[in-house]
Order: sequence, then C-alpha cells, then structure tokens
Amino acid sequence: MNKQQVDIFPTKQGDGRPLNMEPAKGVLSHLSALEVRARSRQVQPRQRSRVEELRARAEALTVQRDRLKAEIHAHKGIEKHKTRLNNRGAAAAEEEMETEDNENEQLLHLIARVMDLKQLLYAHHIIGGYDITKTRRGKGICVTLSTAYEGVYLETYNMELDVGPTLKISRHNVPPFIPLGELCEPAGRQKDLRGFLDPLLTRLNAFAGRRQQLRLVKELHPSVTVMESNMLCSILVILLSTPREKTTLLCTLNYTDHTRCLPTGVHFDCEDKKLLESSKWKNNRKLLMETPVHKALGAMKNMDCIG
Amino acid sequence: MEDQMKSLLRQLVRRIPIRFLKVTLEKWGRLTVAQQQNIDFTQTKWALADELIAYSEENRLTLRHITELEMIYVIDNPNQGMWHAFQLVDPESDAPAVELMQFKEQFKSHLNELVRNVSVKMKKNTDEAVWIRIAWGDSCSRPNNMRPTYVVHYLQTPYVFVTRLTSKQKTLLSQAMIIATRHQAIKDAHLSGRNFSAIRDLLMQEYEQVFPAKYPSALVERNQIAALPNIEREQAEAEVNRLQMACEAFGGGKLPQLQSVVYKLETKFKDPSNQTFTEREKPFNCVVTFTSKNLLESLRHCASSGIASTPITPLLSSIPRRGRNYFVITDKVSGPSSQINPTV
Amino acid sequence: MCFRRSSVWIGVAKMVPARQKSVARTPNSVVQRKSKIKSYRQSYQSMTAASRLCLTRALTSLWLNTSRTAPKSDNILDKVDPRQLASLMKTEWQLSYVTPLYQFRYTQLKSYSRQLSAFMAAEKEQVEDGATQNFKVSFSVVHGLVETDYDAETILIQIYSKSFFAGQNEHQKPVWKGWLACVNGNRDYINSLPKEFISLPLFGSSGTEALTALVKSWFQKNFDCCFGSLEINHISLQWLVALWTNYHAESNIKQLQMIWTLPVQPLLQVSYAVNPVDAWELWCSVKGDQPELVDLSAGSLSSVSTALGSAKCRGQIKISNSKCMTTTLTLLTECALLKMPI
Repeated sequence: MNKQQVDIFPTKQGDGRPLNMEPAKGVLSHLSALEVRARSRQVQPRQRSRVEELRARAEALTVQRDRLKAEIHAHKGIEKHKTRLNNRGAAAAEEEMETEDNENEQLLHLIARVMDLKQLLYAHHIIGGYDITKTRRGKGICVTLSTAYEGVYLETYNMELDVGPTLKISRHNVPPFIPLGELCEPAGRQKDLRGFLDPLLTRLNAFAGRRQQLRLVKELHPSVTVMESNMLCSILVILLSTPREKTTLLCTLNYTDHTRCLPTGVHFDCEDKKLLESSKWKNNRKLLMETPVHKALGAMKNMDCIG
Repeated sequence: MEDQMKSLLRQLVRRIPIRFLKVTLEKWGRLTVAQQQNIDFTQTKWALADELIAYSEENRLTLRHITELEMIYVIDNPNQGMWHAFQLVDPESDAPAVELMQFKEQFKSHLNELVRNVSVKMKKNTDEAVWIRIAWGDSCSRPNNMRPTYVVHYLQTPYVFVTRLTSKQKTLLSQAMIIATRHQAIKDAHLSGRNFSAIRDLLMQEYEQVFPAKYPSALVERNQIAALPNIEREQAEAEVNRLQMACEAFGGGKLPQLQSVVYKLETKFKDPSNQTFTEREKPFNCVVTFTSKNLLESLRHCASSGIASTPITPLLSSIPRRGRNYFVITDKVSGPSSQINPTV
Repeated sequence: MCFRRSSVWIGVAKMVPARQKSVARTPNSVVQRKSKIKSYRQSYQSMTAASRLCLTRALTSLWLNTSRTAPKSDNILDKVDPRQLASLMKTEWQLSYVTPLYQFRYTQLKSYSRQLSAFMAAEKEQVEDGATQNFKVSFSVVHGLVETDYDAETILIQIYSKSFFAGQNEHQKPVWKGWLACVNGNRDYINSLPKEFISLPLFGSSGTEALTALVKSWFQKNFDCCFGSLEINHISLQWLVALWTNYHAESNIKQLQMIWTLPVQPLLQVSYAVNPVDAWELWCSVKGDQPELVDLSAGSLSSVSTALGSAKCRGQIKISNSKCMTTTLTLLTECALLKMPI
C-alpha cells in the first residue's frame, strides 16, 4: 500500500528530478532550480497523460473497493450460515422462515460448508493428523505427508503401506537420501503407525525447511555466493563479503541434526583473523545458529556486516 | 604425456558433433577469446583438431585440461553407451555426514591404494551430482585416458551410476566407493540403459508418481465424464478406473525414457492340456524383452487400453516400483505361480 | 510365455481353419492391369477356395502334410549346384509376388541379360543425367530348385557394376541380386494357365530400391506381368517358426526369437527368445500356455528368427540353412499365389 501512496501523491516530477531545493546552496543552485522548473513547464503533455493514468487507477481502485464490499457482504452471509450449521436444530426452524433468493442461499450454504471443512482439515493437520486413504479393500493404506515451512506449503510426499502383521512400505516417493528403512522399520514391526510416521514427517519437514532456506538465500541475497551444498541440505558453505573491511569470509553451516532446520555448527574462515574475534562477528555466529540463514543474512546486511 | 594429450583431443573432436563443439569449448574456457573466434568450424574435423592442438600447445595446456573438456562434454551429453546402476547398502552411522571434500580425498586415496596407476578427476555438477572420471592403468601401464570410466553419485543417496566399466574394474571401484561413502557393501541394482537421466530419475523418484488419494485426483477431473448415457458412462468409468490404475502403477505425465526390460524365465511349464511338458522336471528357458522408445509410457498405455490386464501384474509394476529392468523369474519352491526373485 | 491366444504351437488339424481364414482375409490386390490375354485370371484363389470347401478335413490335412513336411528327396545339395544355392542363402530378400510371365523363354536368358543391361543404362540416364555408372546383368537358371514337374525352374538375376571392377567378373560381388521361383506350386492352377504363360510367383530382391524398381519395370514391359508386395502374415510367420523348430533335431536352431509389435503409444515391441531345446520339445509336445504379461493378440507377430532363417512381416526372408530351403520356399510360393489378384 505504501508504494501506491507514493505513486498517487508524487514527490517527484515526471522526469524524476526533485522539486524542492535546499535553500542553503546559494545563487547558482537556485538558478538551476529555476531552470528545472522552467523545463518542467515544457513537459505539460506528459503531465496530462500522468493525470489520465491516475484517473484510470482511481477508477480501478473504486471497482476493487466495490468488489471487496460485495465480498464482505457474502462473507457475512457465509458466517451466518456457519453459525447456523453449528447449531443445526435451531437452524432448521430458521431456514423455514427464510424468504431470500433460494439459489443464492444454497450456494452460500455450500461455500460455508466447504470453508468449515477446510478449517477442520487445517485443525486436523495442526494437531498432527495425517491424511490416510484405505486402498485395496483395506489391505493397504496410502498416507499423504505434507511439508510446510513458515506457513508455506511445500512438497507433498506419499506412501503406500501394506497393513499386514507388520507395517511395510510398498511404494513411496520420498527422496532416496531420507533413510526410510532406518526410520520406519522398528515401529513398523510393532504396527505403531504414529511411531512410524511422526519421525518421518519431522525429517521431511526439516529437510523441506532447509531446502526452502537455501532457495531463499539464493533468491534474496544475490551478493552471497553459495559455494557448497548437498541434496539433503545438511551442509551449506557460503562466501560473504564485508563492505567495511573489504575482505571475504567463508561461512560453513553444518546441519548434523537432520530433524531440525537450524544449524548445529557455524564456522567462519577468513584471512583477517582479528575480524573473526571481533564481538560483531561473534554475534553474527550466534545469529546464524539461532535464526534461519536467509533471515540472519538479512539482519547482517542491515547492520552493514556484509555486502 | 604429450602424445596422450594430442590423441585424446583428437578423439574428442571426432566425438563431439560440430554443433556442440563451440558451446563446449566456451564452457571449457581454456582458449582465449581471440583463439575461439579464430576457429573455423566448417573445416574438416582432422584440421579442426590440428588447430585445437596448436592452440593447446600455445596455451601450455596439459592432459588434465583436455580431460576437463571431455568431462564438460560428457556431463552435458551423458546418453552415450550403457549406464548401469548400483546400490550401496548397510550404511555406517556416519554415512549421512559424508561431505564432498572428504569423499573426494577418501575415494582417490583408496583407489590409489588398490591400483597404482589410476587417474581420477571429479567435478560437481549444478544439480549436486558428483561426476567421477577414472582412467585406469595397472602396475606396468599408465592410465588409459582414451577409455575412461564415468561414475555419477549423489552424496547421501545409495545410488551409483556407472558407464564403461569392466568386471575387474568393478571390484576396485566398488571397494573405493563403499569406503568413501561409509557403507559396507554395494550391489547391482539391475537397472541399465542408454538414457542416463531416465535411470537416475527412476531411482531418485524424480518423476510424477500417482497415489490413490482421498481427494479426486487431477486425473479424474481431467477426464470428466458427466452427462453420458448409462452404458457409455459405465464404460467410461471403467476406462477412467483403468487409467488411474495404469498411472498408479507406472506414473503420471511424462515418464523416464527407459527403453527396455528383460525377463529371464526359468519357470516350470504349466499347461493342463500339455501333460508331457508340464511333467517335465527342467524349467522352461525363455528370455522376454520389451522394447520401446519409452517403455513405461508404452506399458501405461497397455494397461489403460486393456492390453495388459488390471490389476497390473507385479512383473510389470516392479519396473518403476523397484527401479529395475532386469528380472530373473524362477518358481518359488512351494508357491503356486511364478514370481520374481531378485538375483543379488 | 503367452501363446494362449496367438498360439504358435498349433497342430496341423488346428491350422486348417486358420489357413482358410487367411484365404478369406487376403485382400484383393489393388493392381488392376488390363492384360491382352486374361486367362491367368482363372486364378489360384478361386480354385483353391472352391476346392477347399469340398475337401474334408482329413484330406486337407493330408495335403498340408505332404506340402509341409520335409521333401521326399531330402538333400537339396544333391539336386542344386552348391555355389548357386549359396548365392540364395544368408541374404535377406524383400519378397514380392509376380503374376505369370507371358512368353518367357529359358532359352533366351543371354539376350535378356543384354536387354536388361541396355534398359537400365537408358533408364538410369533419364533419372540421373549423365551418370557414368554402367551395369552388367546376368540371368541364370538355378537347376533343381523345384519339387514337382509342374514347377518352373528358378531364375537368378545378378547385376554387377561395370565402372568399378571392369573385367574381373570372377570375384566381383553383385550390387543387386534377385530371383523368381516356384516351389510346389499348386498343380491345378499351373495346369490351368495357357501355354504361353510361365508361373514364377515368388520374387525376391536384395539391393537398392531404385534397382529393384528398374528390374520390375523391365519385366512388366517385356512379359506383361505385374508385381505386388508380399507381406508374410502372422499365421505364415507362425508356420515358419514351426517349420524351422522342427529341424532342430538335425541342425541346431540356436535360439528361437519371436517379436510382437503392440499398437500402443509409443509402439511396444515384445520379443521372446526361447532356448532351442525347450522350443523343440515344446514343438514336439505341440501346444503351450504360459502366464501372460500382456495380451499379445492385441498386437501382431512382426518377426521370427532362428539360426536357420529369419522372416519379417513386411515381407523379408533370410534362409541360412539349405535344409529348410525347399519347405520355406514352398510356404512362400503358396503365400504368393494366394496374394495374386483375381
């Protein structure tokens, strides 16, 4: 929204030069400011098109506002239906009395139901529930494992299990560097589905999180060079440059605990040994240990530690 | 050494199609810009090789640099010759912690312990794959750079992909590999083919697998069958069902381009109307080979069109499920029907 | 492993209806050439179809038996010049059928050689302007490659390139080879032809298509005949398997390979390579059935091969052992006669 405001109330002319000059700069600068102003008058047609542009935008915003209003209205309707759904007894009586447009009513009802179910599903996931489908007339099950990091859904993995005297994986699409056998076999023998799935999901989530962090490092920090990484994302070596000391640092992050998204060790290599002993870089090390790497790098950049 | 460098460069120029040569040389980056612009790609390959040899001598390049050029070309164009997959088993507790530098060092030093004259070069690709080029020699001969073995391994995964390996070299490579990756053994994965990425994708699960899910799959939605008369509808439903089963067995969308599967049958002959043959003690020997431009897609079509019956026999669905395309089928001692016995 | 529906191992009695079916299925040829003399139209097809309707099963199988089992005079090497026989073997031939030749004379082979050479030179010049390549053609008779008195002797045509090895005919390899044959041709049919016609229904060629086309067009012009492609259908291929497997006791077939093509996207080929001893024992015990992987009857048998020979559905045949030469050619002669237009 901030950006839009800037556009609607421009502080710059069409040609991008600042209008208000600082008074302290003397005659010459004053003259040049006048020159700029004179020139800006010549660009009238351009300004006119700018006005048109703004008018169009205003119109678009009006349309958007109306749509949002309608949405709010519909939402209110849905909320009403939802409460009614929740205490169905009362609702039945109430429904009789409704004289509103029937079709619209049904649609709202369905939307309300879908939203309700989605929320239930979300709650189911939050409390650690799994999506399980019966297959082969109960002889097998198919489990869906969804991974997420910072509220963003990432890869979904699936497993088909044979439900016999023990739990056995019949097929899956879990990447080969996740040690499925080692993780699942003991619980599978005891037919403990939760004991089977929980550690696996923890691993998958941690892996997805680390991979997402690596993606974000590459995306958000083009000045940081990734020197080394692996498929499991259990090691990350990055090259950092310090703008003040004009030197480079090699930073190695080890994630030996594969159930976590945070490193178990952070190590710096630099020719300037003094720099590494400074409290600033000691702090940076702590930051990298405790914060996801892409965020830590952002903070370091803000503090001007890295370029 | 000089001679080896020249003949390797000549062999490379002969192997690399002109349309790839320019890009490969650019990636290599061992020639000056002026030299690169000077190269006349329309001349004969022999003359082209002469020109490159001259530049290489001018720039004081060594055999090692030329092997680098070869690796760049092979990594970009891996579909030459047969690739075989192997699987590392019984990992040590520190296996997941193996990282590139350590692996490199361990692999090289162990291979050097086993064979005196061997030259190893490693390069990590952008997709995390470690490419290893091995030129073999023995106690009395220098490494032969004209026929190197190529090995591809993704660290932390159990799979190793190999091309151009003799059985004697296999023993040596296996030993170096299990020590460097911290495993106890390596076995044949019974998967091979000319298309490297197909074999890799199949084992690394890098293709669209279809699972029976609670929510209507995209597949069913894509084939909406509303408003059809009852009989047609029933048929259409059966068809959708077959397609779903076919996709669950072989995968959805584009599938890894595997080109063949071999079944070696050593089963007893069973036919109630043929007494003589059924009573025969010896198994019936037969090799069945399926070939296609894209075998999995062909088989999926076989299953969805009813040419292969559903539910799909494990003989066929084992190809993607177990990631292999060579099976020896023998009779289970007490079992009623033929079954797949992995030969380890 | 799955011969259930497309059973290769069918006994003779079972084969009869199948063969009748193949008669019915034989498409009427597209060739509609108006001939001066139309008597050969009293064709093999109409005759055999009629006779087959009347024949009892026993008779038919007897007829099939006599024509399909090894010939009476077993050793072909006693009858045919081994050098000529060798030139027919170990080459993959592309097959065609030929309608009877009008006024073809065995006494004029020398003149035919000259005529065809001249014809080729003239035609070649028209096609590739100013080409210097000259051809030398040789017609010869392969004496003895017949089974009955009614069969016409086999003709072998060889074309040599003059420009490369002028003057050393001895060891020169022909650039093109072809032959016309009739082995165990149907007697009634051959007798029904007017005197001026000779029936050599089977034509095999090996060499460039351009040369084959030239030879065919010369024959068409001179003997008022026409050629048509001769596919070896699925049943004939199965028959060949049966024929060759049957020889295993005498000479090792090494391996029996059969390839099916299935009409799926992308095209799927399924090949069965059977151990020779097993194939032979299976053949002896007649019929087989194995668990199915895919239903092969949805596809078609596209190629069969053993150490004795190989055949493909598109009409290619290769015979690698003289022992099965006669039987194979007998089967193919019949295929050619069946394929001929009415």
